[in-house]
Amino acid sequence: MRKTMVLMLTAVVLQAVPVLARTPSPENAQVYFIWPSDGMVVHHAFWVRMGLRNMGVAPKGTDIAKTGHHHLLIDTDLPKNMDEPVPNDRNHLHFGAGETEARIELPPGPHTLQLLLADKDHVPHDPPIYSKKITVTVK
Amino acid sequence: MRTLLAAAVLAVAACTGVPVLAAEPTPAPPKAYVYIGWPNDGQVVSAGKPIRVWFGLRNMGVAPKGVKFPNTGHHHLLIDTDAPGPGVEIPNDRNHLHFGAGETETTIELPPGKHTLQLVMADDRHITFDPSVQSKKITITVK
Repeated sequence: MRKTMVLMLTAVVLQAVPVLARTPSPENAQVYFIWPSDGMVVHHAFWVRMGLRNMGVAPKGTDIAKTGHHHLLIDTDLPKNMDEPVPNDRNHLHFGAGETEARIELPPGPHTLQLLLADKDHVPHDPPIYSKKITVTVK
Repeated sequence: MRTLLAAAVLAVAACTGVPVLAAEPTPAPPKAYVYIGWPNDGQVVSAGKPIRVWFGLRNMGVAPKGVKFPNTGHHHLLIDTDAPGPGVEIPNDRNHLHFGAGETETTIELPPGKHTLQLVMADDRHITFDPSVQSKKITITVK
């Protein structure tokens, strides 16, 4: 009887879950900046090295578990709606070809950088995998 | 005559044990550059502690094994061995670690002493590019 109840409850819960479930995050997955580090003073053109632990990189459109591709957020906050693809504009750089480093150019002054991983459809994993937001100063 | 010569060369290659590949190797992406971001060449690391190795890659992307995507490949870490050269399938053993899940770093443990590390990229079939995309071979000391 108790088992039946649990099954029924499970069925109700399953029905309440949205149809388009996001890609689950691999356990202990972590994205971070290898370079630059927080607070660093950099030249106007610099390499960003994207670090990833406990999961792999795959180009966009690749349907393989425990993979994703990097997105670099510049001078912006994390997207409010994580159910949608990461925007594609000058504040959100996509690395859909599986890149793990990028050469970027920024005007002088302080800038924030943050990494956000997303799945084959550019949608963040669940829970989302993102780095600490760092600040660099372009001299 | 030229065909004959080519056939003769192939025959010689086959006899001398040089691998002859049926398929053409994947051309290396232009300016592709792979390097070991960490540890540094000549670095001394502590024994009994895992060594983190960072895989650096420029002008090229990472894709898991079996994934055909332009200008991508996956990392292989060669330990205490030489790189195989272009157009060769990388062996899978304790001297050739494959990162076919698209990993871009790893941790390894090595016995005390001097060891060489080298990164080599390979395509979706684990075959090295032509020319081979490979890092400088570095030496570290575990003590």
